[in-house]
Amino acid sequence: MEQALHHELIERFDAKLNDAMRMYLDTCARCGVCIQSCHVYASMPELKYTAVYRAEIIRRLFKRHFKAQGRFWPTLGDSAELTDDMVDTVYEAAYSCTGCRRCMVHCPFGIDTQMIMSIAKLLLITAGREPKVLTMLADMSIQKGKSTPETRANFAKAVDQLRDEVLGRWRQAHGDKVVPLDVQDADILYVALAGKHSMVPAAAIMNAAGEKWSLSYYEAVNFGAFVGNPEKTKLIAQRIIDEAVRLRVKEVSICECGTAYRVMRHMMGKLPFKVTSFIEVVARYLEQGRIKLEQGRIKGRVTYHDPCQLGRNGGVLEEPRFILSRLTSNFVDLTPNRAENWCCGGGGGLVAIGEKDFRMRSARVKADQIKAVSPDIVCTACENCHTQLSDLIGHYKINASVRFLTDMVAESLQA
Amino acid sequence: MIEGIYYFMMVPMVYAAAAVFVTGVVARSVRIVIAPRQMTTLQVFPRRRAPWVHALVDTFLMPTIRTIRPVLWVFTLLFHGALVLLIIGHLELIRDIRLFQVVPHQVFLGGGLIGLALTLSLLYFLFSRFKTPYREISVPEDYFLLLLLLLTVLTGSHMDWAQYLSPAGFDIPVTGYREYLSSLFTIHPSVPAAIAGSPHYVLVALHIFFANLFLMFLPFSKIMHTFFALPLNLVRRGGLRGASTAP
Repeated sequence: MEQALHHELIERFDAKLNDAMRMYLDTCARCGVCIQSCHVYASMPELKYTAVYRAEIIRRLFKRHFKAQGRFWPTLGDSAELTDDMVDTVYEAAYSCTGCRRCMVHCPFGIDTQMIMSIAKLLLITAGREPKVLTMLADMSIQKGKSTPETRANFAKAVDQLRDEVLGRWRQAHGDKVVPLDVQDADILYVALAGKHSMVPAAAIMNAAGEKWSLSYYEAVNFGAFVGNPEKTKLIAQRIIDEAVRLRVKEVSICECGTAYRVMRHMMGKLPFKVTSFIEVVARYLEQGRIKLEQGRIKGRVTYHDPCQLGRNGGVLEEPRFILSRLTSNFVDLTPNRAENWCCGGGGGLVAIGEKDFRMRSARVKADQIKAVSPDIVCTACENCHTQLSDLIGHYKINASVRFLTDMVAESLQA
Repeated sequence: MIEGIYYFMMVPMVYAAAAVFVTGVVARSVRIVIAPRQMTTLQVFPRRRAPWVHALVDTFLMPTIRTIRPVLWVFTLLFHGALVLLIIGHLELIRDIRLFQVVPHQVFLGGGLIGLALTLSLLYFLFSRFKTPYREISVPEDYFLLLLLLLTVLTGSHMDWAQYLSPAGFDIPVTGYREYLSSLFTIHPSVPAAIAGSPHYVLVALHIFFANLFLMFLPFSKIMHTFFALPLNLVRRGGLRGASTAP
């Protein structure tokens, strides 16, 4: 490895060493309690797929380059020099971890492996060894954000084409804007994904609730977070923050995208507006009686997959179940669920990268968990999970369909 | 010559170990305090009403270990519980502490059971590391620490067990240890004749030597979890800093 690159990698590593990270790296007792926590290990029991092993790779580098023990007695802690081969090992650790943080729930010290893997991802970016597709997608997001003022008219035209589909879900008073844009002082700025599947049901639900809302020009997905680039993560989120401030909205509601929600809700610090997941908004409408649902329009046995970034890492755990209780009397929870739920296996950018073979093999435990309740519908509230679960159901020949929760709500809206 | 080595272990090395221990722990803690702060929350959900209470339970009762590795949990609780009693026992070897005599007991407390609990726990920790997958995740430091602790406990316990189990008792009385430890604390160090003249002097010296090594190594090892476990559990429970977006 070239010395200049080596030096830069160590500098970037050092920049990640905040107080929490230092404690995470100093504390692990290698008790092995986290071993069974990882869905990858539970599906493919190889040591390299354990949380402790992944973290230990970064810990070995930490000891060698930042601790006296690693310099004076390197064999004691298995300290490792940052070499090209080591970067390959770092890659495997970083991109076999979906950042679900199930191991953090089980660790007696609460060590956050996803946080430690953020060092791994930053090293890979610095070395130019990250999955290029993720960087490309993040750059595209940023670029799209920059050119938005010129393409707003086109976006408005495209959104207008959704009118009939939205009205098909909820017929509203003639003349009202079906998908409003640029609404000053809106109560909610709804941030969707690029596809209409994330706009149509939400629009119908908010129109049914008589909400004063506005659709964001920007898409929610944050590829900066997937690739582990803090600057790009912030840039992508900042466009939405700026729009919300410009429109003086009271609340920014993020569509069914776990990572986008967690970034905006928990990683951007204090903001001058409230941040919610759209699932929380739907639950609120139901509680306030602003929308009504016809229980039973959704046929069959329904189960719910807690998206890691929305549930365990985001705090939206009971709202989906409350909504489902209004949608169907035939709901069955997965076991384990909520904070203990198994990751679908598609997080951390794996769905975007592709990696289908690995994703399928590493999520066998998820497929088994679904099979155990024999559902007709697996519903979830995250785009990433939806894609992964759809792939899983096909791969493991499970006779069920995968649906978004908001789509089921929009289908069951009652006048 | 050998007397000089014993004296080195019993006096200068003890001061050196205490200095390294205190300086090391303070330096490591300061390094963390002055590091840039984690500004956003790292908690996992569901959010608990009293994060401090949950963090204390996580730290001292370790419920996840109980669920996932129940045998390890039994030995971990046994080990840490015995460690607390061990510290009390050693404090009482310096002088009488009335507070601890609320439950009347003799010095050294435990009737030999504390050493036994520690020995069994350490043997379990050690042997469980010989088994896959724990063997593969272990590094030399894990074995080094366990062996160091085991040697410290075994040499210490030997003196304690001899007191109870040998018909003649142990030839170094409590007053001997008290004289020695008090002299260290008052910076007038001496090794009293009760210890230096005992045929078991080597055992005392070795016990002190291993304890010194352990103390000196502690600040540079994973045993820093003694100090970091509670703050980290508070971070996980959302009870320590980390700002989420205002609700």
